[in-house]
Amino acid sequence: MDHERENEGLKSRLASAVGMPKDVVLGAAVVTLLGDSEVCIENYRGIIEYTECLIRVQAKGKQIRLQGRHLQIEYYTNDEMKITGTICSLEFCK
Amino acid sequence: MIQAIFRYIRGYVKIRIQGYSPERFLNLCRYHQILIWGLTPRANAYEMYLTLDGFRKLRPIIRKTHTKVVLLERYGLPFFIRKHRKRKAFLTGAVICIGLLFFYSSYIWDIHFEGNDKWTDQTLLEFLDTKEVCPGMPKSKVDCSQIVKDIRAQYDDIVWVSASMDGSRLRIQIKENEDTFREEGAEGEQKAPFKETPQKPDGVEGQPVNGSETLPPTDLVASQDGVITSIITRSGVPKVHVGDAVKKGDLLVSGRVEVLNDAAEVIGYQYQQSDADIFADTQMAYEDQIPLTYQKKTYDPYEQRRLWYIRLGPFRVSAGTLSHDFPKWEKYTEEHQLRLGENFYLPVDYGMICIKSYQTKEKKYPKQKIQEILTKNFEHFSKEMEEKGIQICENSVKIHVYENSAIASGTLYLNQKITETAETEILTIERNEQDESNGSDG
Repeated sequence: MDHERENEGLKSRLASAVGMPKDVVLGAAVVTLLGDSEVCIENYRGIIEYTECLIRVQAKGKQIRLQGRHLQIEYYTNDEMKITGTICSLEFCK
Repeated sequence: MIQAIFRYIRGYVKIRIQGYSPERFLNLCRYHQILIWGLTPRANAYEMYLTLDGFRKLRPIIRKTHTKVVLLERYGLPFFIRKHRKRKAFLTGAVICIGLLFFYSSYIWDIHFEGNDKWTDQTLLEFLDTKEVCPGMPKSKVDCSQIVKDIRAQYDDIVWVSASMDGSRLRIQIKENEDTFREEGAEGEQKAPFKETPQKPDGVEGQPVNGSETLPPTDLVASQDGVITSIITRSGVPKVHVGDAVKKGDLLVSGRVEVLNDAAEVIGYQYQQSDADIFADTQMAYEDQIPLTYQKKTYDPYEQRRLWYIRLGPFRVSAGTLSHDFPKWEKYTEEHQLRLGENFYLPVDYGMICIKSYQTKEKKYPKQKIQEILTKNFEHFSKEMEEKGIQICENSVKIHVYENSAIASGTLYLNQKITETAETEILTIERNEQDESNGSDG
């Protein structure tokens, strides 16, 4: 576990030094929020839970927790997903 | 929008999945590149849209995740065709429709003209008709460059033509030479003989160079009496000056140029076509007479007969009657020809004939009205003169009212072009022979 964390740190520093995008090097999720009505998530692993008021998405190493009302997944593809509705909060948790 | 059209063409379905772990189902769909959209959670289930291709790939995923899939709706063209596959007439109709569309779109159905003021659409259409270019002809027979050449050859004052095909419409853009409009009356008749000459358009400008050989030399003479106010001579020898008084028929510009020797003796002549703008102050008598009374017509809206008709070739169907016994009547005919687009006329006419009865009563113009009519007539006359390029500098027109008529009369002082072409007299020089004999003696 420590080894993994160390590895991540190294990669992060390397990416900063070389100026490469972190979503490519680290596989970090790209979350684009458009006001409180639309979210675009890229670079994710899969859906863990999906209800009208909560969506949990697995990204690399972390979970994205999206809370809101009338949440709906507009589309769901291998690269990207788009969620619409009224978004109240967005959290990253282990 | 485009995406929606593609989805419709390829077909898509709405399904509901429920089971132990529908999220896993979603993730596996993602893994297998199956596009999902419109995903909504329902109590313990999800509803979503899938492409038809995606739906066909679902079976192993369903088995793996132990979920239950319910097909809710089918959308798109593949399902539409399957639903209506027994409607053979409909299918045949659709195929024939598409076939006819292709077939008819290979014909020209309309000819559209742009930029023509002087030559009307009708005139140009009639001309094109003689060249076998008309609505209803196959597109493959249209030769745009030949149409352009034909129009250029036929009409001298069309300086630029472009013909192109827009779908099943032949579009002809024209640029007319606007300068010819004013001199139309004087030069229109002269130009006609040159129209049919076999000279190509690129050779038109070359005429003045060898003009002295091919065209007869001309003088310019005064078309009426006047005092010269300005002379601009382009070719020929001017014989008058500004301020000279000339009479009708006087020589203004001579087409015969004298060739002098060192002793300033005339040894020969060169002939050319004279060309000059000569303006002169002239006078003209103006008279306009109108009677003091007029016949006023009163129409009776109830005393009229109407007949409507539709004519298809030699057959005519009509409704109404024209029989009447009115002492005084007017007949109006209104006829329209059915057409497709702008210029494709069908052999179907429709129209209306109306006979209106009227009574006449003699009435006298009030004095003010007489003045108004005569003034209006004079204004109209002045405008016409101005359009011809004649300037009215002054006038002494007065209105006189007599017992039975009113007359506007007086003199107009004009400034106008007074040139008129006349043939140049060809002179021969007798002295030439003497000179030559002298020369041979010495």
